[in-house]
Amino acid sequence: MRLLFIIVIGLSTYTLSAQKPPKLKPFGYIHIDVPEPSDIIANPFKPNHFFVVSDDGFLFEMNRDGKITRKADFTGIDCEGVYANDTAIFVVEEYTRKIRVFDYASLSLQQTAIFPYSGGRNKGYESITYNEVRQRFLMITEKDPIYLVELDKDLNRVNEVYLEGIARDISAATWYDNHVWLLSDEDMEVIKLNPNNYQEIMRWRIPIINPEGICFYDNRMFILSDDMERLYEFPIPQ
Amino acid sequence: MSAYKRISITIALFFIGVNFAHAQVTISDGRHVMEISGGISTYYNQRFLKPTSDNRNKDRFRLRDAQIQIEGRIGNLYEYELQVDFVDLASFATGEIDPENPGLMDAYIRYKGLKFVDVQVGYGKLYYSRSSLTPFTRTPYWQRAQIVRGNMFSRRDVGITLMKNVWRQRINMYAGVYTGLGEITLRGDNDASGGLEYVGRVDVAYPTRFRYRDIDDRVTPIPMFSVGFNGRYAEKNLPDGRSFPAFSTGEFGLKVINGERYAYGLDAAFMYMGFSGSFEIHQMRMIPQNANDPLFQGFLPEQTNGYILAGGNVSQLNYFSKKLKSIISVRYEELDLSDLIPGKSQRLSAALAYQIRGFDSMIKFQYFQILAEETIDPIRWTEQFRIGWQLNFK
Repeated sequence: MRLLFIIVIGLSTYTLSAQKPPKLKPFGYIHIDVPEPSDIIANPFKPNHFFVVSDDGFLFEMNRDGKITRKADFTGIDCEGVYANDTAIFVVEEYTRKIRVFDYASLSLQQTAIFPYSGGRNKGYESITYNEVRQRFLMITEKDPIYLVELDKDLNRVNEVYLEGIARDISAATWYDNHVWLLSDEDMEVIKLNPNNYQEIMRWRIPIINPEGICFYDNRMFILSDDMERLYEFPIPQ
Repeated sequence: MSAYKRISITIALFFIGVNFAHAQVTISDGRHVMEISGGISTYYNQRFLKPTSDNRNKDRFRLRDAQIQIEGRIGNLYEYELQVDFVDLASFATGEIDPENPGLMDAYIRYKGLKFVDVQVGYGKLYYSRSSLTPFTRTPYWQRAQIVRGNMFSRRDVGITLMKNVWRQRINMYAGVYTGLGEITLRGDNDASGGLEYVGRVDVAYPTRFRYRDIDDRVTPIPMFSVGFNGRYAEKNLPDGRSFPAFSTGEFGLKVINGERYAYGLDAAFMYMGFSGSFEIHQMRMIPQNANDPLFQGFLPEQTNGYILAGGNVSQLNYFSKKLKSIISVRYEELDLSDLIPGKSQRLSAALAYQIRGFDSMIKFQYFQILAEETIDPIRWTEQFRIGWQLNFK
């Protein structure tokens, strides 16, 4: 018992010195109609509209009131990440390790690319975004371990970075203000990365249950909660 | 060697290899995804005996788990799971199956193509009792509470389960029919009565879905609650001269009875800011078909009204410190094996766990103390502790 006591005291002394990141408070939230949402990105062509993917394998277009305005005919498996640019919408499926590329106008499937990964089936690619500084697509595995994979514009794998110890998991990634932004579900934190070396610049806590998606739009940060099926609006972290 | 030295050596061994790289492996053809994972856990157990006992066979190192798990999914229609514990498979040959830790843990297929309801067939956990449904590896304890260890009611069986969730998974409903012999069903045959067991459960959570977990390891910023109700019924009237298969009635002879058996339970749980707690209560009403059934303890029908009640409850409070990567927990439990015999057994347990790598690599310490015991279930120890390491290849 004495040994156990010494271990507990030692751990307490060591860990209590750690500093908590600053906490962000949301302006508010809306309920959304998308079931089991897992990621979000602003629609680059349609103001006040977003693309949202769901665990059920669907791609939706949703307005700022949370109402579904369009839905792709295609049914995927466990869609976990979404990114949109001026040419297409990119959706990553965690279970199948695939990127599905959709046409913007018709939301029809245009291309499928496969990225085999033998980690846990629920710990595969959970997020996708684009690093404009390095001109690379980014895919990130959820956890155990967390890998950041760089792809060129043609979706060829060109690099891999091990983000050791960055968080317990990474549930989403996005690009804003020339930085990569990561979201951790289990830690409930937003992490800002240097786009050149992927080193952490700063992190913030967000009091949201099961945050699964992040995007920036209209001078605000939007966080999507899967369990709550809500879209929260935050001030831009400074 | 003194107990203190033995514990010190055990702890030192546990810290060797804490950086052991571990991960599950997934194989996929793009539609069919199969994942292989597993886990090992081992502990040292020390018991403090009553003066009337001299059997120290439980002062031991024990390999508790050596498991392989295969989980898969085929498109959006099928899911399956096969989980085996090699430690308990070895003891299966003796005929006895530890219901808390059987050799075969899961072997089922789930069909999701009906849309309005999912169907699961095969062998697996019964949707009865929140505490039983919580994965062992997600708790800081080395042993479940007495009432949910599988000696009062079975935890697994072969059968068919219908499952449905609504209101964004906040309401979960399960209904199923099973052989009714519990883990012993794996031998293949039903008992001579041919009776089946019917099990149902409904749980409701707010403000979001609430998984079957004890510990608030996400440090939930909004209070979360869950309430569950479950019931089960079996009628197994054996023909004259027939008996149940060996070991099927459980340690207390209550798990399967010759007659009708109702069981119903209520559970509630909360989580908030690292704190979590749960309460669970069960009662069994047993109506043996024979007036001379041993469950009547020799009482006359006029004294028993033809039935026996048994049951118990368990309360647990936990705190997870993300900074300390530690869980501290305390549990109080009561068990009444028969309302015909005065008294209840009472136990107090405390647990402390340190997470080297989350729940996948965790050192767990559990202390037990017997506060009271029933005359029909005497126990030879007064206190015990277990300390060990669980490592999951996940």
